[in-house]
Amino acid sequence: MGKSKQIGNHNSDRHKNIARKWKTKRRTKDLDQIHTDMKPETATKLLHQEVDFDVTGCAQHYCLHCARYFVDMRSLKEHFKTKIHKKQLKLLREEPYTQAEAERAAGMGSYVAHKKVEVQTQPTEEEMD
Amino acid sequence: MRIEKCYFCSGPVYPGHGNMFVRNDCKVFRFCKSKCHKNFKKKRNPRKTRWTKAFRKAAGKELTVDNALEFEKRRNIPLKYQRELWGKTVEAMKKVEEIKQKRQARFIINRLKKGKLLDKEEAIVEVKKNIHLIKAPHAGKPKQMEEKMVQKLQEDVEMADNI
Repeated sequence: MGKSKQIGNHNSDRHKNIARKWKTKRRTKDLDQIHTDMKPETATKLLHQEVDFDVTGCAQHYCLHCARYFVDMRSLKEHFKTKIHKKQLKLLREEPYTQAEAERAAGMGSYVAHKKVEVQTQPTEEEMD
Repeated sequence: MRIEKCYFCSGPVYPGHGNMFVRNDCKVFRFCKSKCHKNFKKKRNPRKTRWTKAFRKAAGKELTVDNALEFEKRRNIPLKYQRELWGKTVEAMKKVEEIKQKRQARFIINRLKKGKLLDKEEAIVEVKKNIHLIKAPHAGKPKQMEEKMVQKLQEDVEMADNI
């Protein structure tokens, strides 16, 4: 497993309290949840949400793969160029891990190789026109 | 009551042990120990964590495809207790386990054979590369040279005689 060698920079302060970061109430979506989100019906629903004033950017600019809301189109587009987003896409290209796979690994059935899934950044509205 | 399998490491979760996480979409995750739970919270991928069964299977470290692995299953149909059937099942389980162990052991031994071969090849290459440390590169050459000189001299003498 590759871990970055860099230990400290100015941004590393926010990782100091790990327990707080992993609290259940702060949980972000898991990869398998995002995989279900990526199905066409749910994807269209998530990408065209109603205006909700409680959510960042009134829930109008959503990145499907990172499960994040953005303030406006510009920052969403900037986000598509970032390393975080690209890394997430890479992680999503593998089929999600399941309890069934865990059981197969434990000796309940033979091993089945996981498949590759094609994942690409969602098209923005301007491109769709 | 059932012995569940850990989501992360695939180890057994006995009743009253480990903990269970129910995500807000009702999906249930069981963990055999806090180590597994913590790793799950860190969003680590069990396929890429070297100590899990999932990794060992995915990386081909263990026996993956075999008929002996097909016996253990989640059977959701309850059976009425029959003493004879119970006895037979226990016997069969023992036998299956024995066969499984044997096959797994054989698989691992075969897997490790490759390393031995590679070690040997590497050793041969190393000896070939560093032979100059044991034997000087021109060792034994002077004698050959001397023999050649003697031969040449003789030839010269013979030539001179002919003239």
